[in-house]
Amino acid sequence: MMRDDAGTAAVTTLLMLPLLLIVLVGVLELGVLRAVAYRAGAAADLATIVAVGDQDQAELVRTGTLRLAADAAETARDYFARNLSAAAPALAVSATQIAAAADIATFSGAPSFDPRTGARYDRPTVRLIASVPVRTPGFAVLLMPTVTTLTIRSASSPR
Amino acid sequence: MRGLAALLTAVIALLTATSADAREPHESDWLAEPPVEPRPDPVAFVVPAGLYYVTDTYVGDVVATAGPTTTYSTTTVHESTGTYARVIDTVDTGASSSFDGLAFNGRGALTDGRALAGTYYENFVLNPNGYVPVSIVFFQDDSETRRREAAASPSAAPSAPPATLPPSAARTAPPVTSVPVVGPVAARSVATGAPTPRPAMPITPPRPTLRAGIALAPDGPTLGSAEVLRGRLIQFWPRAFADGVAVTVRSWRLVSAEPDRISASRGGAEPFAAQWIRMPAPGVRWTLRFEIRTELAPAERLEAQITVTVRSPALVD
Repeated sequence: MMRDDAGTAAVTTLLMLPLLLIVLVGVLELGVLRAVAYRAGAAADLATIVAVGDQDQAELVRTGTLRLAADAAETARDYFARNLSAAAPALAVSATQIAAAADIATFSGAPSFDPRTGARYDRPTVRLIASVPVRTPGFAVLLMPTVTTLTIRSASSPR
Repeated sequence: MRGLAALLTAVIALLTATSADAREPHESDWLAEPPVEPRPDPVAFVVPAGLYYVTDTYVGDVVATAGPTTTYSTTTVHESTGTYARVIDTVDTGASSSFDGLAFNGRGALTDGRALAGTYYENFVLNPNGYVPVSIVFFQDDSETRRREAAASPSAAPSAPPATLPPSAARTAPPVTSVPVVGPVAARSVATGAPTPRPAMPITPPRPTLRAGIALAPDGPTLGSAEVLRGRLIQFWPRAFADGVAVTVRSWRLVSAEPDRISASRGGAEPFAAQWIRMPAPGVRWTLRFEIRTELAPAERLEAQITVTVRSPALVD
């Protein structure tokens, strides 16, 4: 009887082990994806904050109001690429390519409405939306795409 | 019957009165002139004694140093502004005058604190009501080194009270020119005999309106309010204007609450640099008030202020 139970356990283990490994790989891959998403989000947030700090000095002298610099969008794009490079090993394409393809918009007037998101901004705002392709080879065992694209959004304004 | 007689009498009286007004009008009735208000006789104007027509106009005070000598003088421009003036007081060094503080350009002082010697002039404009005083100007005329030398050698003639030259004598004599007395003055002034030479008495145009403000650049426009980013070093430039023309700021002083970090609480040509480290509560605004003195009118204290809103880049929800 004991011999029969041992055989059953062995068979069960052999049958369940692949399934457990698949679940384990999936969990680990999701964890990695989560971490990359966090890093990409932080990179976008920092980029927009830096861009908001890049103010038009001439406008400030002339009117005393904060106005985004003309190159605020490029500043955000540059810093986004720099910050995103920390997650480069997990990215399917280079950070520079991701930043170049990012949709970065500046809203100097206030209030203003973002036609893409529908958001209303009461202060001059820099908004960034980027698609970040992340390599997820572990998902292959789940018959899922080996590249998962994350969509990152961030917006900052002087408040 | 009595009633009929009374009625008849009343009718006759009425007709009589009416016919009196229905006469042919006289020519004078048609050409009636409106009453003429008596005009004041311009000759009756009270002409201040010593009044003359201005041919030289005040430009500014000059302090020139040549070696050990510092000269305090006044510059003028040969220009007639249609105004009149008269001398109201001549003061020596350190002497007080009842007009001290009334001159729009103030009365300077020597390095030892004594007031400068010079002459007070009162300016007038002529309007239908007569000569109206508009301002008082002080023409400084003094020299400092001579006084030091004189003060340093009192033993040369200790017993002589005026051993040192009296201030007025020590001063450089102003150029003497003939000031033409023309127009209303010539016609209405009291008999003054032959025109006497008068020193060129430059008189100021109407007192300039001084205004002060705060700008964010040396030549930037003055602002009532400004937004600044937290942690950013901002330079505030106290500026002053006389009739809209920028004038040199001699000194400034911060008289309101201070930001977290400042370059100095008072200064001269340099700006006031400030930095806010702490983020104020939403809606809180800082007001920086300055006391400004200009080179044009050092005795006049101007006030300027700017309201500052501190902002910080932040994520939008």
